[in-house]
Formats: sequence, structure tokens, C-alpha cells
Amino acid sequence: MKRFIAIVLAACMLLSMAACGAKETAEPSGVTAVDVSSMTAEEQQATTEAAANITAEKEYLDTYRTSFSSSYASFNYFSTAYSTVRGIVSSCIDGLVEPDIYGVYAPSLAESWETNEDQSVWTFHIRKGVNWVDHNGNDTGLPVTAQDFVDGIRYIADPLNEAYSMRVVRNLISGLYDYYWDLDDIDCGDKDDMTREEAAARFDEMVGVKALDEYTVEYTLDGSAPYFLSLIESSMLLLPIEYDYAMEQGEDFAVDNEHMLYCGGYYISSFERDKAITLTKNPLYWDIDNITVDTVEYQMIPDGTTSLEMFKRGEVDYVSVEAEEYLSMQGSEWAADLIPTERSLSTNYLWLAFTSANPEFNTFVQNENFRKALQYSLDREAIAALRDPVDPARVLRGTINAEGCIYDENGKDYTDYAPLAAIKAENYNQPDKARAYMEAAVAELCEADGTIKGIEAGKVDYLPVTEFDVDGKLPVTVVYVGTDDEDEIVMAQLMKAMVEESIGTDLIDFQIVCFSGWTYGTVADPMNYDIYFDSLSTGYADPSGILTRMTTDGAENVGCYDVPEYDELIDKAMEAETFNERLEYFAEAEAYLCDGAYVIPFISSLRGYYMTKSMPFTSPLTIYGNEKFKGTLVMAEPLTYEEYVTLDTAYEIERAKALAGE
Amino acid sequence: MKRYIISRTLRSLLTIVVVFTAVFMLLRLMPLEGYFPQEMLKEIDEATRMSYLRNQGLLDHPMVQLWRFIKNLFSGDLGRSLTVYPKVPIATLLKEKIPVTAAFGFASMIIGIVFGISMGLLMVRTKDRLGDKLGMFYILCVRAIPSVIYLFFIQVWISKWFNLPLIFYKDRPSSWILPTICLSLGSVAYYALWLRRFMVDEENKDYVKFAYVKGLSQKAVNRRHIFKNAMIPLVAYIPSDLLMIISGSLVIETLYAIPGTGGLLTTAIKAQDNNLVQVIVLMYAVLSVVGVFLGDLLLAFVDPRIKLTEGE
Repeated sequence: MKRFIAIVLAACMLLSMAACGAKETAEPSGVTAVDVSSMTAEEQQATTEAAANITAEKEYLDTYRTSFSSSYASFNYFSTAYSTVRGIVSSCIDGLVEPDIYGVYAPSLAESWETNEDQSVWTFHIRKGVNWVDHNGNDTGLPVTAQDFVDGIRYIADPLNEAYSMRVVRNLISGLYDYYWDLDDIDCGDKDDMTREEAAARFDEMVGVKALDEYTVEYTLDGSAPYFLSLIESSMLLLPIEYDYAMEQGEDFAVDNEHMLYCGGYYISSFERDKAITLTKNPLYWDIDNITVDTVEYQMIPDGTTSLEMFKRGEVDYVSVEAEEYLSMQGSEWAADLIPTERSLSTNYLWLAFTSANPEFNTFVQNENFRKALQYSLDREAIAALRDPVDPARVLRGTINAEGCIYDENGKDYTDYAPLAAIKAENYNQPDKARAYMEAAVAELCEADGTIKGIEAGKVDYLPVTEFDVDGKLPVTVVYVGTDDEDEIVMAQLMKAMVEESIGTDLIDFQIVCFSGWTYGTVADPMNYDIYFDSLSTGYADPSGILTRMTTDGAENVGCYDVPEYDELIDKAMEAETFNERLEYFAEAEAYLCDGAYVIPFISSLRGYYMTKSMPFTSPLTIYGNEKFKGTLVMAEPLTYEEYVTLDTAYEIERAKALAGE
Repeated sequence: MKRYIISRTLRSLLTIVVVFTAVFMLLRLMPLEGYFPQEMLKEIDEATRMSYLRNQGLLDHPMVQLWRFIKNLFSGDLGRSLTVYPKVPIATLLKEKIPVTAAFGFASMIIGIVFGISMGLLMVRTKDRLGDKLGMFYILCVRAIPSVIYLFFIQVWISKWFNLPLIFYKDRPSSWILPTICLSLGSVAYYALWLRRFMVDEENKDYVKFAYVKGLSQKAVNRRHIFKNAMIPLVAYIPSDLLMIISGSLVIETLYAIPGTGGLLTTAIKAQDNNLVQVIVLMYAVLSVVGVFLGDLLLAFVDPRIKLTEGE
């Protein structure tokens, strides 16, 4: 009961904030970031010098101490579903390329590369003289060769190795899809015209990855993939493997630090399961001059309060701080050190069920006016304030793909293309417009007495989630199904209040059902909802990662809409001759979906703040992949937000030059 | 005695078989989707999911799976974790985790018994006076206040006042102090409360009054008669407590980041890690049954009035 009251009070408080147009959200620590483009050359020069002074004045340490909060189940980078594991592996196994500190792809294990005209064949020239090392940093004498990259694909191509998140790579590398499913069909007895060994022996002829010579590997893709380098950054599945070693280990491969080999800047020198992990500088690393920290120590700290206290006591060098803690720390000695998190590639959105079992909703959701009524009834900033009461505006997102992660050949942000720029600029908090849209929908779909045309009263079965009666009359019953997570309940309450206040309870009855347990399998998949909250992430530098999955028959079309116009635009994008043309079509398609409110993106997953002793902008800018410790500088004292802003401004000046090729 | 032990052993084995089989079969009734973390489920299609389940043998008939597990068990193979620690041998996991939990459990048990009994004796000796009231206050605090509150207070504030580490480090003995104390708070209260209660009960019995009439001092009566008899009900639980120290404490191990077994069973059940759940349930069932059995034997040993079989 208390919890319910607390939730209602919180929702009321946020609603009243929204109603009053409360925008008293001070910039963190009172220091504002500077727009680089508006700076004069002298100002830029002065900022660069100030940043250089900050960097020069600091005292630097050899060890970086950080934490993790959930278990490291295994280090098998091909099969793990856990991003934490990927974070560690990123520093221990190098890929073919890696971004530099400005996000421009630079040589890593590949010294150089080239691609054909339509970017469907990529050839990489592997660095010579790089050897695998063991968990003691000893040279195994096994060189990293082109074959190791071929074998990486060979490893994931075998269903028995249970590679994770195969979809993108499996559908992209020529022949991999058929090879994988042939093996799987043999495993489950659906294919008996060849043995498993015979099927496996066809790898080299079937799959589009070849070692042209000892140090040249070539990937042949099923279509143009101008984003392939970013996929190398984001996907663990394109990393190399010492195949004979891995086969020798069998099921033990990478279950701990002792059963794997390393070719990155660090190796895992010690591993206490669920407790501590130590990374030590790889003495044989090809780029050892840029490995600036000798040791990285991870401690498992399961809760945020303890890790914050440990940061204050100097026992860890990084801590993330939730917005609530941020507020409570104002006025303390730590307030000046709180830095807002920079980026989230994940977008939160509302799915609408287009084949809903609720006849009232099913009738209305097909109507664009109704969908737009929902879209314009949400005060996104008030919802964003749940995530970040200090600066909710930074959490807002109207597009499906994240801003600041996909750029065209001229360095223009994909979300700045005209159709998406219009979406970003639109104010969706317009209750009057929402009501007008709803009245238009009602005029089209209802009789004068409020009876919904073609609908009869009945019972709607969303079991095991809920069941309810509908009378076939206004107000139209809409069921939002969410989890029993406290934050999500508050958000749902807030949405209900917004929708009912904007559209009117005479026209809509917004019901909330909170479901405890496993929501995807019980709610989303069997479509036991009218409205459902979910998220999607931009995985690499191309909108296709999300948008091709949202077509009418796409795997991410959870709401089961049928939008041929969107599908057609996606087809055009995939067949476009240049990358810029491709982005234009994708932008048009994405805008079509958002503008028609087939899905309603509203905020990003960005949240919280952090305090750190790590100097920013010294490591590779991994937008799609995981943080690397190469180049990390650990300071004796925490970085202040004021210092951060100076460093950030100087960095943006340099990054703009780097992206422009200066 | 021999007959009792044989019959009791057979009944214990039957209990273990029933418990284990029930848990094994119940696990097979869980939805197949539960084998995948939410994050993974969204990423992989239905065909890939089925392929994964088939490779793990999870689509085989439950009786086939049961037979495979028993066969492997008798050949010394506990299997590998499915979802919590994918592919990690369960024997390795237990070998890593049990010693840590057992060390803390054993230390806290000793502290619990020593301090709990001492406190119980003090409370009896100072019944209705300050010592008794302070003891009762402690017991009420430990049992009535939600443990998370005082455990968190101890972790953050006591560690600050005494300059102790906030979490457990294997190589820093000073970091072992607070978790051990936290683990023993409950058992100190338990032993103190029940020893006081049983001793007060015994004090009012006729044989005690008779001992006083014989001229024995209060100290002698307490030591030779009351304490011994009051300890009998408590002694029966000591073997169980000793064996179950390996089960650990979810809250304390989480707070102090102790890589033990606390919460392992809960995590395994939530993640539908059948193999891990089976092994842990089997282990706990065996230890519980053995613990109760040893408790009964110990009871017969310390209390001459108790006979385990008719006619003996």
C-alpha cells in the first residue's frame, strides 16, 4: 500500500512539474559546455592551451581500479551475452581495426585494408610479428595470422559453439547462413544427405572469408556494407581465435583466464570468480607505447552505494552516480566532480499492437489520427525527468536511431537529415492537438452515440497477463502492459495521467497492467498488450541495423504493423549506390515510421553521472564497441566537471579537425 | 543401535531421492524461454534458440535427462553450469565458492556459540537486572529490526570509525572482521535467547530445588545441572548448523562482495540453470539429512535419558 501511495505521489509531483512547465534544471555544477563552432580561432587556441595545462599538471598513476556489479560468467567472447565480459575482452583481444581517440578507424591487427567499389569485399593485411600470449604474459610462439580471423568465423559458424548475436554477421558474410543451418539441420536429424564432417569440410568453399595468404584475410559479403569497419568494432564475432588451442580446450575454452590466449594490450593475469579480475599490460603488445596503465584492477561491488563510498575513500577510480544521488551530493565536497554521462545508443519507445485482441484498440490503432493523438499527448520532458531530474532535456529522443553515432561521407549526422531533423524539432507535447486528433479519429470510427463501428462487447483475453471486458463504446480501452519495476510503474502512471488529461477520459480509458516476471515471452511475443515499452540500440554505423528489422516482416516488428511504404523505402536504401543516398532513404523511412506514429520513440536510455580519476579523451572513442584501456591516464585526484568541460571543448575542436581530415 | 542406524539411513536415502526427483522434474516444467536471459532472447531467433536447447540436451525426455545426470554423478561428473556460469564445471564452481563461505560460516558459528552461550549465561545470572535487560535489548534489535538496516550501518559507519575496508579482500585480514561479525549477530542472539529460556525453565524444576535443598551452591547447580540440561535441545542443532555453513548468506555476501555460495541457489533457480540447481539441491538435501541424523545421535550421546531404539 505504502509503495502504491509513494508511486502515486511521485507521479503527481512529476505531473505538477510538467503542468507548471518547470524547466528549472540547472546545468550540472553550473558549468556549461561551449559550442565549438561559435568560437573564434583565438578562443579555440586558448581552450586548447588550457586543456594542455590541465593534462600537464596532473600526477598520473600506474594502476586503474574499477568495479563491476554482476558476475563474469565466462570470457568466451563469441558466446557471451554479457556486455561486461565484452568490456574486458575488448582490451585483451584486438580486432582488425580500432577507432582512434576521435573515432576515426585506425590500424590495429590489420596494418591496412581496402575494399571494392560497392564495399562488399573487404581485404585486410594483417600485422606481422604479433604472437598470442597466455595468462602469465608468456609468448606462446603462435603468431596471429589471417587464418585466425578465418577460424573465428569457422568457430561461430558451428551451432555447437553457441555464438551469441549471430544474426547480423550470419546474414552478412556470404554463405555463412547456409553453412550454419546445414550443420544445425544435420544436428537435429533434418538433413541426412551428408555427414557433419562432410558439411563442416565445405566451410572454405562456402563461407565468404578466406586467408589469401598468411597475412591477408578477405571477407566477401552478401551486399554492400559501408559500415563494415564499425561492425568490426562492435561485434565480438569478428575477433580472431587460435583455433587449435580452442579445440584442444573444448568446453573449457575461455571459462576462465587460464583457458584462453590473448593478443591485445592486456592479458587477464588473475581471475577470482565473482570477486576480482586483474588485467596486466601485455609485454609483447605491438603498440605497447600506448599502453599507459600497467595494471587494471576490477573489484566486484554489487551495489551503487558501496561503490560510491569506496570512490570517496579512494579505493576505486571510477563510480557511476544516479540522478537521485547527484541531487543529494549537491553542496558536498564531491559536487564539483560529478560529470554527466555522455552518450546512449539505446532508444526507449512505445510499441502499439496492430493485431490486438482488444477490438476497441485494434480498430483505433489502425487510424493515424488516433496514433498521433497518443503521440502528441506525451510530455516527453516530464517522462525524461524520471531518468534525470537535473537535466531531462539531454535524455529526450524522437528518432529511433541515436544521434551522434552515424555520419555520412561529409561528416553530417544521420539524424540531421531533413526528415529526421523535422522529427527532432517537433514539439510533441501538445495536449490540444492530441485532443483534436482523437476527435478526428472518433469521427471516423464511431457512431454519433459513441458506439465504435463494427465492434461488439466482449471479453479480451491477455492471460496470463490480464483479462478484461470491453463494451464496444467510447471511451476506447487501451491497456499498457509493463513490468513491476518501480521506475516503470511511475512512468506508466505518468503516461496514463498525460494521455487521459490531454485526450480526455470521455474518449480514452488508459489502463495499466504491471506484470511480474518474464515480459518478453509472456507479453511481447504473444502480443498480450495494446501498448508496450521497449528499447532498441544502434549497433553500428548504419541505420540498417535497426531499420531493416522493423519492416513488415522484420524480427523487430513486435507490434505487427503492415507499412508497405516503409518497406519500399528500406529496399531503396539497401539498393542505393552511395552511402549518402542510402542514408537519405533510411532517414525518410525512419521519419515515415515515427511521423505516422507506428512506433513512438520518446527518450534515450541515457542516465546518471559519474566521477572519475581517468583523464578523458585519451583512449579510443569506441562508440559501438566497448571501452578500451589503451591510452588511459589515471590521475591521483578526481577530475572536476570544470576541468572536464575545458578538456571536452578542446577535444571537440581537435575532433572536428580530425573528422574533416585536417 | 545398529538397527536404528540402518533404518534411519534407508529413510534418509529415500528422503533425498524424493526431494531430488521432485526438484528435477519440476525444473523440467519451466518454460523453455527461461533458459535465455532477456537480453539474449531478443537477439536470437526461434530456430537458434531450439538449436541451443538441443545442444544442451534440454529437449530430451526428462527421464533421459535424469538417467544421464545420475550416470554422470556416479562417474564423478557433476556436469557444467548452463546459464549462470555457462560451461563452467560445477565441481570447479563449488570448489571455489564453498571454502570461502565455509570459512566465514565456521568462524561466525564459533563466535555465535561462544558469545551466544556466554550472553545466555550472563542473562540468566542477572535475570531481570541490567545484564539481562541489555541482552534482551540486543536480541530484540537483531530479531526485530530488518537486518539490511543494521548490516548496512555496520558496513558504512563502523568501517569508517575503525578504518576497516568496506568490502572483503582475500589478502587483507582486516576486511574479514566485519562480515564475520555480521554473520554471527543472528546466531549470538539465537543461542543467548534459547539458552536463557531453557535455563529459566530448568531452574523451576523439582530436581533443581532438590539440589539447592541438598546445599549445593547456585554456581554448582547452574554448572552441573541446569546448564547441561538446558544445552540438550540446542546441541541437536549444532551438526546441522555446522554442515549448513556452506549455504552462506545472500545479504552479507552481497554487501561485502564475498564470492561464496550465498544466493547461488536462488540465482540458479531464477536463471533456470538446471544442472546447478540439481547439484546444489542434492548437496543441501544430503547435508540436511545427515545433519539431523547426527543431531539425533549427539542427543543420545549427551542425554543418557534418550535411547534410540526400543529395548536398548
